[in-house]
Amino acid sequence: MSTNLAGQLAKVSAPQEAARPRGISSDPSKHIFLLPAVILILLFSLFPLFFSLALAFLSWDLSRLTGGVRFIGLENFITLVNDARFWNTARVTLTFVLGAVSLEYLVGLGVALLLNQDIRFRRFFRVVFLMPMMLTPAAVAYAGRMLFNEGQGPINHIIKLLGGPQIPWFSNSSLALPSLILVDTWEWTPFMMIVLLAGLQSLPPEVYEAARVDGANDWQTFRHITFPMLAPVSVTIILIRALEAFKLFDIVTVMTGGGPGTATEPVTLYAYLVGMKNGNLGYASAIAYSLLIMVIISSTLFLKLVRQRAVQAAE
Amino acid sequence: MYLTMRQTRRLKLGITYLLLVIWTIICLFPIYWLIITSVKLPVAVFQGPTYFPWIDFQPTLNAWKHLLVGPMQNQVLRSWFNSAVMAPTSAVLAVAIGSLAGYALTRFQYYIPILKWRNNDLAFWIISQRMLPPVVVILPYLIMYRVLGLVDTHAGMILIYTVFNLPFAVWIMRDFFANLPRDLEESALIDGASRLQAFRLIVLPLSSPGLIATFLFCMMFSWNDYLFALMLTFSRATTMPMFVAGFGTQSYGPQWWFLSALALLTIAPMIVIALLIERYITRGLIVGAIK
Repeated sequence: MSTNLAGQLAKVSAPQEAARPRGISSDPSKHIFLLPAVILILLFSLFPLFFSLALAFLSWDLSRLTGGVRFIGLENFITLVNDARFWNTARVTLTFVLGAVSLEYLVGLGVALLLNQDIRFRRFFRVVFLMPMMLTPAAVAYAGRMLFNEGQGPINHIIKLLGGPQIPWFSNSSLALPSLILVDTWEWTPFMMIVLLAGLQSLPPEVYEAARVDGANDWQTFRHITFPMLAPVSVTIILIRALEAFKLFDIVTVMTGGGPGTATEPVTLYAYLVGMKNGNLGYASAIAYSLLIMVIISSTLFLKLVRQRAVQAAE
Repeated sequence: MYLTMRQTRRLKLGITYLLLVIWTIICLFPIYWLIITSVKLPVAVFQGPTYFPWIDFQPTLNAWKHLLVGPMQNQVLRSWFNSAVMAPTSAVLAVAIGSLAGYALTRFQYYIPILKWRNNDLAFWIISQRMLPPVVVILPYLIMYRVLGLVDTHAGMILIYTVFNLPFAVWIMRDFFANLPRDLEESALIDGASRLQAFRLIVLPLSSPGLIATFLFCMMFSWNDYLFALMLTFSRATTMPMFVAGFGTQSYGPQWWFLSALALLTIAPMIVIALLIERYITRGLIVGAIK
């Protein structure tokens, strides 16, 4: 919000500044400030992005000594479209993003609502609830493997003590992905919680006052006041989290390695295996690029959907 | 039976505390489990879950000794110190370069004629770099690093972490500088200070909360990285997350007591960061930039 405002102010005040004798915008040192960042980003993202795109049209196989680098046009992409394993990884990635982000949002909203009440030890709860998102995913994944271990893990043990069945968290191919989603939810709910809590705290108290006077109950207040007012920030954090969730790699590599079979193999891991283990750089780049396309399509669709809803709500 | 309003309120408060305690346990239990597993004997781990040291199992420091003063000492300490050098160094660089750019985007007017870009477009282009999944650019990095001789070097890893953190640092610092009053630096400029002097002597000291918070976040992102370390290092510059991840995939099966101790060594600095960073986050520093 503040940056937009600053941007508008800057636009309004720009002509006056230009008129000054020692105008701020004509200062030659302005390039010294910006260039280091821009050059680094150009070198490390634009160049690799084009290089990667070029790779996707090549046959560059490190495992074969002869043949070398050849231009093969769309062949990598044709292979990709017919690759059942690729389509499975796409399904895994999308299911993971959808499942993890919605669960994280719901739990994060719940915890934020709890913390937003008049409670004691709030600082303590906030520190503890924030902790998981700071911890190294590779290490968290090991903790997850131990906790969900079927024979020796405490989770199944506690379920057993409560009289429940023993759950094959990671050995069952239809349960492995939901289990991964649970571990990711543990790690990333704090992000949703902390932003939503800040959003809740910035809501104007007068509106709640009015709702109370009108005799609205807790649910009505939440449904018609709190939730709609949180909508803009919700859209932003869901998008941010989804963009991060598409990058899923650490947790799944350590916890399941994509297994059982390929039940939890995301696109990232497949691209890594094809590129690094098989040395097929061209095909790996085509797979990786398809992930980028997936990210762009999903976020565009999401924003479009949100905008449609907003228009409908306004009518 | 109807509850009085006071009773309803107390009931609600009771449920709130109950749920808060449950979530506290969920957040802390995995860390507790790592701690107790790291002091269990192998046989105690395989006998099934036990929960309280001295009550249902006898704790031992064997695993810790094996890793820190025993045969594993060199490998463990090297990985840990690699992380402990590379993460803060890259975070300092990202904050330095990022705050220069963040400052520039709030104080100067830029215009790129070919693209018709102004400050806001530039800022958006910088933050949009974070959308890019690293796996898309990792193969070009590997080829680039082979050519430049940067594979498995500290310099190479510091460079990649700096670049990787830069968009975040620019974005947060830009938001921070936009809200910083300009009177002081402008009077310094009128007194004849150069822009860089004004930035270094006046703006930076005023911005220490933003700089510290951004540093802590960048440090966390670098320390926690696994993919870049996996692709670009193999022995000299390996990091702690990579060492932990590799340790569990050895052929004789996961040795949970060692893995737990290693995982704790990996997350310990991040627990400290979480304690330090909480005040900055709740003050709205980071959250403000997301909106």
